[in-house]
Amino acid sequence: MSRKVVLTGFGCVSGLGIGLAETWRRLAAGEGAIRPLLREAPPDHPARRMDCPAAWVDAGACRAALAAEDLRPMGQLDPLSLYALTAGLEAVEAAGLRGHASLERRTAILVGCGSGGNTTIDQAFERLYARELAKVHPQTIPSSMMSAPASHLALLLGCHGPTFVISSACASSAHALGEAMHMIRSGRVDVALVGGSEACLTLGSWVAWNSVGVMAEDTCRPFSQERKGMVLGEGAAMVVLESEDHARARGAKVLGELAGYGSSSDAADMTAPDLHGITAAIRMAHEDAGLAPEEPALISTHGTGTRINDPVEAAALHAVYGPALSGHTVIATKSAHGHLIGATAAMEFVIGMEALARGVAPPVLNHLGPDPECDLPLALRPEPIDHRVLVSNSFAFGGLNAVLVGRIAP
Amino acid sequence: MTVSTDAILEVIAEESGLDAAALRPDATFEQLDIGSLDVASTLFAIEDKFGVAIDPDQLNPASTIAEFVNLVRQLAPS
Repeated sequence: MSRKVVLTGFGCVSGLGIGLAETWRRLAAGEGAIRPLLREAPPDHPARRMDCPAAWVDAGACRAALAAEDLRPMGQLDPLSLYALTAGLEAVEAAGLRGHASLERRTAILVGCGSGGNTTIDQAFERLYARELAKVHPQTIPSSMMSAPASHLALLLGCHGPTFVISSACASSAHALGEAMHMIRSGRVDVALVGGSEACLTLGSWVAWNSVGVMAEDTCRPFSQERKGMVLGEGAAMVVLESEDHARARGAKVLGELAGYGSSSDAADMTAPDLHGITAAIRMAHEDAGLAPEEPALISTHGTGTRINDPVEAAALHAVYGPALSGHTVIATKSAHGHLIGATAAMEFVIGMEALARGVAPPVLNHLGPDPECDLPLALRPEPIDHRVLVSNSFAFGGLNAVLVGRIAP
Repeated sequence: MTVSTDAILEVIAEESGLDAAALRPDATFEQLDIGSLDVASTLFAIEDKFGVAIDPDQLNPASTIAEFVNLVRQLAPS
């Protein structure tokens, strides 16, 4: 009996588009989704001075696609749930699991979210504080609670197994994938629908992010000279994990394996990255997967494009891989889809696995030239690769690190 | 303001997630599987859009769509 954890379906939505096919088409063409975002605030509102680059989802197209499915009523959907449902349905369809008996009792749903339904919360607060109305929508709490996307997926698919949200800021969906992998390894479930969702491009959320002082006014330039910071995106990515036995028994097409997971806490600083915590997580993921650091890998970095984060991640990669680093290929796809916060790790894992399957590394965009502090073997244009493994890094605010190792099917 | 039946049905459809065509006049909220939170949401939206505040006690799960529409139209300021 094998408790190896295999991948049988992917789904995603982001500024790059709805669905993995469109996402990959644009990535392989070197296209990005970051563009100026004009806010809906009144023209004389101070926040209008903060019009900014971002990578947002065509939520109207998402709602239309979901409406065409003629699903059961699920109450008011914040974009947080809308994106999770869009990506989740795609993943379950791709895996051929829609309506499968295992969904009912033997499936876990884990969704990584960095925050709850910001749109719903913003709308409620705008009524209270700006319009001085006494009431907010009765579904404000059930629509905006951080766990809503997990509940909505369970409702939609009829899943009665363990279902919850994991939150660790920018590493949320890496932790979700890793913990779900262990739930399958331990035999607690046979299947997991797992990933992340985030919908944080509201005025309230964006002003808060901007006040941290890490946002770029131009665009996201990971590991580049003259990089100015991160750019927010939004969206969701979901993955179907299964025990190898379960996948084989139902004749599912196996896309690859979630082979390793490392996680660590810096316990050092709430915002600054920590070299020790990061290297520990990467090494742990390699050990868990039985992956030698010398084996050529596609390394999907956290690569936020901030002044402080990128050199620390580069130093961690040198510390872990040493001279072997030059045999790896390093990508940073936040330059294309922005930082999806709670969804970003799942999005990057899905993109990384697709890159392995297609044999092409999607390019790091907006790069203006090398920074000696970030000396890495970056793919700066779509680059042919023949790596079999992916190492996908996520290092969150609060010092929470999670690293995933994926292998494509032989 | 005169509130049209269609405008009221549109609000019920929006808040319940049901198709407006499914809202037959003689159907009750219970029969349409419109739960208490969806009813509360509908009352909230009716008050927001039409300025009609309805006491939830004036409704029960056995109220029909037609009864609800008439109630809103009666209470709407003309």
